[in-house]
Formats: sequence, C-alpha cells, structure tokens
Amino acid sequence: MKPPVFKYLAPASLDEAVAALADDEAKVLAGGQSLVPMLNFRLLAPSLLVDIGRIPGLDYIKDNGAAGLRIGAMTRHHSLETSELVRQRFPVLNAAMQYVAHLAIRNRGTIGGSLCHADPAAELPGLMLLLDAQLVTTQRTIAAVDFYQGTLDNVLAEDEILTEIQLPALPAGTGWGFEEFARRSGDFALTAVGATVADDVRIAVIGAHDTPLRLTKAEALYPDMDAVVAAARDAVSPNDDLHASADYRRHLVGILTRRALESAT
Amino acid sequence: MIKVSVNGITYEREVEPRLSLADFLRHELGLTGTHVGCEQGVCGACTIILNGDSVRSCLCFAVQADGGKIETVEGLGTVDNMNPLQKSFQNHHALQCGFCTPGMLMTGIDLLRKYPLATDEEIREGLSGNLCRCTGYEHVVRAIRAVAEADHDS
Amino acid sequence: MIVEAGEAEARPKIIGARVQRVEDPRMLTGHGTFIDDISLSHTLHIAFARSDHAHAHITGIETAEAAAMPGVYGVFTASDITDLFQPIRATSRMVDYYATELPVLAGSKVRFVGEPVVAVAAESRYLAEDAVERIAISYEELGAVIDPVAAAEPDAPVLHDDVGSNVILTRTFQRGDVDEVIETAPVRVGDSFRMRRKTPTAMENRGYLADYDQGRRALTLHSTSQVPGVVRDALVEMLDIPGNRLRVVAPDVGGGFGGKGALYREEVLVCVLARLLGRPVKWLSDRTEDLMSTNQAFDERIEAELACGEDGHILGLRADVIGDVGAYSAYPWTATVEPVQVISFLPGPYRVPNYRGRVRGVTTSKAPMGAYRGVGRPISTFVMERLIDMAAAKLSIDPLEMRRRNMVRAEEFPYKVASGIVWDRAGFMECLDAVTERLDYPALRAHQADAREQGRWIGIGLASYAELTGLGSRIAVAPGMPINTGTESANIRIDSSGAVTAYFGIASHGQGLETTLAQVVSEELGVRVGDVDVIHGDSAIVAHGTGTYASRSTVLAGGAAIMSARAVREQVLKAASHILEADAGDIDATGGRIFVKGTDKSISFRELARAVYSEMGRLPREIRGDIELEATRTYDPYFGTATPATHLAMVEIDPETFQVNILRYGVAEDCGRIINPLIADGQVHGGVAQGIGAALMEEVVYDDSGQILTASLMDYVVPTAAEIPSMEVIHLETELPNNIGGFRGMGEGGTIGAPAALANAIADALGLHVNELPMTPERLFRLVNKQQE
Repeated sequence: MKPPVFKYLAPASLDEAVAALADDEAKVLAGGQSLVPMLNFRLLAPSLLVDIGRIPGLDYIKDNGAAGLRIGAMTRHHSLETSELVRQRFPVLNAAMQYVAHLAIRNRGTIGGSLCHADPAAELPGLMLLLDAQLVTTQRTIAAVDFYQGTLDNVLAEDEILTEIQLPALPAGTGWGFEEFARRSGDFALTAVGATVADDVRIAVIGAHDTPLRLTKAEALYPDMDAVVAAARDAVSPNDDLHASADYRRHLVGILTRRALESAT
Repeated sequence: MIKVSVNGITYEREVEPRLSLADFLRHELGLTGTHVGCEQGVCGACTIILNGDSVRSCLCFAVQADGGKIETVEGLGTVDNMNPLQKSFQNHHALQCGFCTPGMLMTGIDLLRKYPLATDEEIREGLSGNLCRCTGYEHVVRAIRAVAEADHDS
Repeated sequence: MIVEAGEAEARPKIIGARVQRVEDPRMLTGHGTFIDDISLSHTLHIAFARSDHAHAHITGIETAEAAAMPGVYGVFTASDITDLFQPIRATSRMVDYYATELPVLAGSKVRFVGEPVVAVAAESRYLAEDAVERIAISYEELGAVIDPVAAAEPDAPVLHDDVGSNVILTRTFQRGDVDEVIETAPVRVGDSFRMRRKTPTAMENRGYLADYDQGRRALTLHSTSQVPGVVRDALVEMLDIPGNRLRVVAPDVGGGFGGKGALYREEVLVCVLARLLGRPVKWLSDRTEDLMSTNQAFDERIEAELACGEDGHILGLRADVIGDVGAYSAYPWTATVEPVQVISFLPGPYRVPNYRGRVRGVTTSKAPMGAYRGVGRPISTFVMERLIDMAAAKLSIDPLEMRRRNMVRAEEFPYKVASGIVWDRAGFMECLDAVTERLDYPALRAHQADAREQGRWIGIGLASYAELTGLGSRIAVAPGMPINTGTESANIRIDSSGAVTAYFGIASHGQGLETTLAQVVSEELGVRVGDVDVIHGDSAIVAHGTGTYASRSTVLAGGAAIMSARAVREQVLKAASHILEADAGDIDATGGRIFVKGTDKSISFRELARAVYSEMGRLPREIRGDIELEATRTYDPYFGTATPATHLAMVEIDPETFQVNILRYGVAEDCGRIINPLIADGQVHGGVAQGIGAALMEEVVYDDSGQILTASLMDYVVPTAAEIPSMEVIHLETELPNNIGGFRGMGEGGTIGAPAALANAIADALGLHVNELPMTPERLFRLVNKQQE
C-alpha cells in the first residue's frame, strides 16, 4: 500500500524539530524502519513527518569512562552491532544486536527509533531495562524502566525528542547471557531474555508482556534457579497471538531465563 | 526538489514527500531493476545501496535520499560485462524467476563488504532478510560463498 | 537399469548439459521486464475497496466523495460494469459438482474478506488509494461460513444461493470391498489428519495492464499469468472480442507456483475498464492483497485408515476428506482440482488392493482454493506416509522395510491405482534405495540411537510418492473441464538471417524454459543454444496453448519442439543437399554448421538461409518452392508419466523450545531424461523449501468471523535461507517414459515429499503421532504437553 499524504521537514537543529512537533499530528522520522511500514499500511496518517536524520551530533557512541557509554539517539543499529566499545563494555548488548532484524534494517534503524517505537518484542527496549539505561530527551532524563507505558506506548510528550542513551558501566567481570527464540532468523522475538550477573543479578524479558520487563522478583531469588525460573514465568502476562500462545511464551520465558543465567555464570 | 546520484549519474527531480525511494528509482528514473515485493521491508526485493549501506528502498522516501549516493543493480555490470557476483550467480544457477535477484545481489555486495562470511551459516543468516520462493537458497549461498572465498584468496 | 544422470556414455551434447541460462543476463543486470516495468502513457491506476466482511449483503456504496478526489478518473461498482462483459463460471462435466458464479466486482453480496467491491481509477496508485479511503460500503451481515465441517451441515448459512448448499463437489474412488477388509484386518491404523491452508507467495505480486486500441478494436492484456492461452480464450467469451484481436502476453513473471495459473477478477476488470475508458488500465496487487485474494490451497481434513496383514502388506485404505475450497470455484481448474487429487493419489506408489476415497469440497468465506505446487499430492502423501509409518510402528517393522514390502515393483508396471491412474514404469524402488543409500540410512539410525542415549530428540522420516506429469489429452488436469490441457505446439522458424526462433504456448516464469527448450531445439536442429530464441507466454504466437502448470512444459512443449525441429531439420538438409551437392543422407548439422560427413564442405545456417530466401537463382525454382524453413507441430503424449521420488529427512527437536532443526535432507527422484541438471536441481531445492515451509511454518489464518489474520509477510511466515538446509539431490534415470523426449515433469515434487518426510521425522523424534501440519513450535509444545498430562 502507499502511504497517505504528509508534509515533510528535515530540520537542521533540535530546536527547529521540537518547534515543528508542536503541530498536533506531527511525528518524528528517524530511521523509518518501524514508522514507514505503519505508514505503508495506512495505520497512521500524520500530517507532518519531522526527519531528525539531518540534525548533526546525534549519531555517536562515546566512552564516558567509569560512567559507561553515551549513545546518540540517531546511532544506527549497525554501528552498535560493530562497535568495539559496545562489544567490550556491554557484550550482552553486542549479542542482542545480532538478532535485530537484518542488515538492511540495521543500516537504517536507530536506537532512538527502536526505543520510542516501544515494540515489546524488540531487543533494544528490553536491553535498556537490563542495563538500567538513562534516556535523555529534549526535556528531561528518564530511567528506562519508567519509559514504557504499554505496547507501542512511551511516556514522551508530543514535542519531546529522545537525544541520548546513557548506559552506566557494568562492573568488570560481569557475566552475561542473551537468549532469543524467534520463528525465523531476524524475526521479532517470541520471547527473549537478557541477564547480567555481577554483585547484582538482572533479568529482562522481551516479547512476553505488553512492555519489556525487568524481573525484579525473580532476580531476588537468585541463585535458586528453579525459584528464579518459576518467578520469571509468574511475572509475565504474555499475549495469545498468531505466532504463539501465552502458555508457550510463558514456557519459553522459563527456558530462556535458565539458559541466559547459565551463560552468565 | 531533490538531487541524487544514482550509479554515478546525478538527477534533480521534484518529488512528493510520500514517494518511496523504490518508486522514485523505478518510475521517475526508469530504473526498473529494483523490485517491489511487499512495501513492508520484509521481503528484501527492493534492497539498494544508499551511501554505502544496503537499505530497503520501500522504507525510505526519496526526499530522505536527497544529496545521497545510490547504487542499484543496473550499476553492477552489463550483460556483456557482469561483475564477479553476477557471474557467480549465473555460474551457480542462483536465480530462477529473477524477481528477488537484484535485492539478493545488493545484499550480497554489502554482506561481502561488511562480514567475513567464513561459514555457510553466516551467509544464510546474512541472506535471511531476502526472501526467495524459487531457488530454495542453496545455489544463492554457493554463489556468494564462491565470491567470498575468491575475495579471501586475493 | 539405473543410470545416475550425467554418467551414461554417449550422452547428447546439449540435452543433459549444464548450460548457463539465457534468462540470466537480463535478470542479473536489472533488465528483466516484469509487469510493473511496463509503462504505457496515460495509464490509469486501479485501487480496490475490498470487503471487510466475510459474508454479507451489500446494502449501499457511497462513491461520490471518492470520485471528487484529486486525480480520480472514475469509481466503478458491479452495476457500472455488468453490461460490459459476459460472466464466466468454472464448469466441469464432473457429476456432483456445482459451478459457482465468479463475479468481477462483488454484486449483491460479498463472500470473503478481501473480495473486491469497488474499483477506483486514478492518475496514480497513490491517488487511487487516497480515494478508496473515502468510499463507504454498508453491509448487512449474513451468517458466518468459516468452518467447512459446520458449513457442510444442512442448516448452515449458504454462500451461493443458486447452488443451495456449501457442498459444491462430491467424488468417490473405490476398488474392492475396503470396509470388509478393514474390519477383519489384523492391523489397523488411522487418524484425523489436518493440513492447513497455504498461499503460494510468489515474490512478485499479481499485476495486469490492459491496453485497448480503439481504432483496431483490439485488446492487449499484459498479465502475470502462467496461462495466457487460457485467459485469452476466456476473455474472448467474456468480452466478445475475437482471438485475433485479443492478445494476452505474460512478460517476465516473478514466480507463480500455480497461484498465477488462474483467471482473476482483477484481470477481467482492467480489460473491461480499458475498453470503456479508452486509456490503458493497470492494477498491481500489493502484498496484503496478494495474501488475501490470490488463490489459496492445501486446506484439507482427512479421516483415513490403513489396514495391513501381519506381514505388513497393505490390505486396504479408506479416507473421507473435506476440502475447504473457499468462496468461489476458481477458473478454469474449478474447486475440484485439489480435493479430487487428494483422493485420487492417496494410495501413493503402493499396492493397495482395496480402497475407498471420498471427498467433499465445501465453500467457506475464504479466498478461493486454486492450484498450488503439488495440488492435492502434498496432502495425500502426508497422510499415506504417516499411515505407513504408523503401521510400521505397530508391527515393529522399520519404516524403510515397510515401504519396500508395499511399493509397486518393476515387474508390476504398468500399475493401475484404485482411482484409475496408471503408473508407467518408473524408478519407484530405485529412488527409495538411492536416497537411503546415499544418506546411509543404517548410519543415520545408529546416530539416532546414540543421540537418544544423550537425551537428544532426533528423528528420521521417509516419504515416497509418485505423481503424474506431462499429461496428455487422455487425462485432464482437472476432470471434466472444457479446456484441453493435453497438447502444446511449437513453431520453429529459421529466418532470412539464419536466426532460429521457436514459439511456444507455454509460459515460463522461473523454470528456465527459455534455456531448456533452446537446448532441445538446438540439439535437434543442429545449431548452438545461443542461436535459438525461445518466445513464449503470448497467446498470439501459437494457435492454441494453455501455459505452464501441472509439470507439463518440458514433456509437452519439449515434445512439440522435437517434432517441429526435426521437421525443419529435414527441410534444412533438403536445401543443403542442393547447395552442398550431396545426398541429404550424407549431410549432418551440428553446432550451427551444416556439413557433408567426412569432408570439410560446410555452410552456416546463415548461408543456407540466404540461399533459400534471398539469393535468387541459388536454388532451382522447383526446389525452392518445396522448401519451408519453418514448421509447426503439436504434441499430445496422450497419457501422462509417473515421476516418483523418495525424500529422507533427519531432524533434531530442541526438547525445551521445540525448535525443529533439519540436520540432513535428501531427495532421489526419477525425472527421466534431464535437459539441464542445474535447472533440475534448482527445481528440487525450491520445491523442498516450499515443502519445508508448508510443514513447519506456513499457515493462512482466518479468525472466527472470517477476518484474515495473516495479511503480511511477518504473519504468513515463509522460510528464509537460514531455515532451509543444504540438500543432497539425486536424479535417477530408469526406463525412459514413452513420450517423444523421454522426459518427465519434475517441478512440483519438492512440495509433495517434504511435508510428509518432515512429519514422519518429527513423529519419529518425539515418539508421538503427528497428524497436523504445519508443526510449529507452538503445536509441538501443545502436543508434547498433552502427552505428558
């Protein structure tokens, strides 16, 4: 299908972009890999697309020393995938990037776009919860765990733009695991689980709930694996859909949680 | 008004914002080698190279490509002078109906540039964003493997 | 004697050679011409408003707002076009079959979600879709007709009032007294089997471009059709335009698999509007429309039971089948084409002395069922091969041995199946032996035993089948239809430049027929492959032809090519004997040259052509008058030929996630004389890939209200390169079939064998019965859980 009519603006600065977003029916266009399919299905009809891809200074991965990494919102998935910094400091993120769609999508899709699109079955939103990311916008800084309200729903205001993602450093020697189950290579996860084990244990679930989820109750039961797995299964409210039943997703949460933790230790 | 370079030639055209890059290439510029299979970014038939990266031309608006450098299948070679990947596809019978083929080639080129492709598994993963209903993929994998090996040897 | 293709002595040089395809250069360089690559000036583009109700009366259509939108030329409903064409129905002489109407735009009611109701013609597709959004259709819902079992009940709401029932076809094949035999048999196995709905999903969506020349009153339809001849003949009736002014031409077509082998409503619509509006009219399906409205297939429910003796020999087989044929009987093959083949092929390649197969085709609110690669045989093979394995398990006989005991043997050919199908001599047992030998079946079983000790779930599955290909006029592709599928013609011409053109009524769409037919012609005529241009897919170039479907083109068009090329060759030798001053018997032609054997006297085809056509006085008048460097021949093989194969799969199932991983896959098939081994391999790979998709992931899903849920390629899941394994493919050549080329059709086998092989492998891995496909991880999860309860 062809998209409906819209106006297009490619501002040269964030201020211009924010001003343009004051228009009720304006939407941000970043990589377009999530937005454009929706336009092509005519599921959305924004009157204006504000392309933030021409704004300089939003595409970077910066070493923030002991504080971790700072990633610009327009950083393409492929940059994250191939970043040596990411691979060394956040190997769990590097592992997750291998599962993100396909090369052509990764070449265009951005971390900011993925996080704001808020698909609960996408890898990056879940990774942000796992890594306790701080999301910096044109108005404020939001903890990742506070960012998601529901499926495809985030807390951003209409004229608020995500500009940077801050990943606090993981302690040296942090164990990690990332397990994903999808129907085919590159598909959205039926379920995925990321885990890190250091002094604390963190477990995040993708695709088994209407948002990505940190399994705080399960985390507290570590290292009793059976208890962790049972709590993980209890914590999620998966969907029944075309691809999998809630029961099967719940089952997968248990399996993948165990596997991710076993990798991490 | 946008200005793009496609296979080394510069074009200036007036376009509507919602015109996809795929439709722009095909209907404005008459470069019909890039094919449209789904308009959802799933099938990969529309894959071209924009500023050095393979992208889905159905998920990109022509206006977004303003100032950009585009390579399409027409730029890879001519029937009398195909490039090594095209020749490998022919040698290995890596196409049947030919509809997915331009996308396979452009993806193949980007995979060969970006990844070592040391194993068939890697090649298959890399191709998993290009759907084909005719070949069962076996010969496509062999065609790309042959070029990857030749690249390593050279 | 088995000859592994490629090993025999004295093989002809061109037929059998791995010739690179002539189609490839244009396809590889982006210079193919697919339907949307054709641009005619002033074309109007169509977008449809489609029904979002499964079964409803249309009570009103508001089009005024749409008609006023920018760039809109016109908005059309059924009443706007009803006088502009004669309606058509897919008729058949088959008893107990009722041909449903096939409207172009929905008339008083809609019968499935996705049915076209309103057509908007505008300056661009973008603008046409904008206008479609402004169309308002009001519906009065009628009772849901979704489940075919419920729809077959006498009190169910009826989709076609003129038929009066949703059961539009009933057919039974029988032999012997199967009930008696089954009642008294020592071993009985059976179950309710379910193969779920598929859609062919060619990478190129359907598209049609109609151009009406008002001066000549002639219509040209460019169509993504596998069957231009069929479409042309149908449109002649519908539009009342004679065949010499109605041309249907398929450009390069991006895959079909049967889905493009039917006449479509949108196809008729563009023709009607082109004639009405005086401008070319084009419609391209988008992917959602393709998934909603291209003919679907494989949706069958089979209650089947197999009876054996203690020694494992089959005593009887019976089956009751319900085919979900969707909302309309597809043209021309009718709704019978798949369901009837399920029961006519169910006995498989085995000795089945007593049999009854009964099928009912039931209309439901879904896209019509049409032909998709394998047509009925993927389902019948799945069922029979599961029954064979189930019986083998009950008797503690190895599944390979079970097949050996029951498969038709060389000395039993020709073997008549209970349904009347006759198998000619082909490599049934040889294929079974070849693939199990090549993959080392005993070693696979040993590996499985070891793996099981480690708690791994590894399974091995066999599937043997035979299909009937290259059907001649004795056997209709769909029984009783008023269409001759049993012949094809070839017109071969050497022109005044010496170039060879071969015209055919088939329509290649990926099979490489431009290459394989050129191989046949060049070998027979004595030129090089590159000297022959094969023209196909155009109703205007042969007097009669139907197209490419049902694995027929190599046998029929190849046979016609041989006949025609031989006729032209005779003329060539006749002319050459005068030019070279030798007896025709002493002259040979090969590689583009015509020469006197044992000498260096030769001429090129170009020189010969010039002598015949242009150089006056080169040949005496009475000689020249007797020479025609052109011949048309029509080939009818009369019967069909059996193409058997055995597939062997080894899978591993993750006991926690239920992911199915295919570890090994092998196919051995007898496709007779192979023209191009590269192409033959490609056909097997592609067919098996679709079979794997059918077995593990593909399913068209409608919900209880008839809404289609699989409306994108994220939801209708076809395999990618990562899900398809490398395969071992063995081509055998046993006794050549009794047709001119010694060819067998072989394009469909992959989808026929793979679902059965995988079902058996999965059942073997789990030690559980598999009676439903696709076996998604979700279904495996439920199956295993149910077992554990």
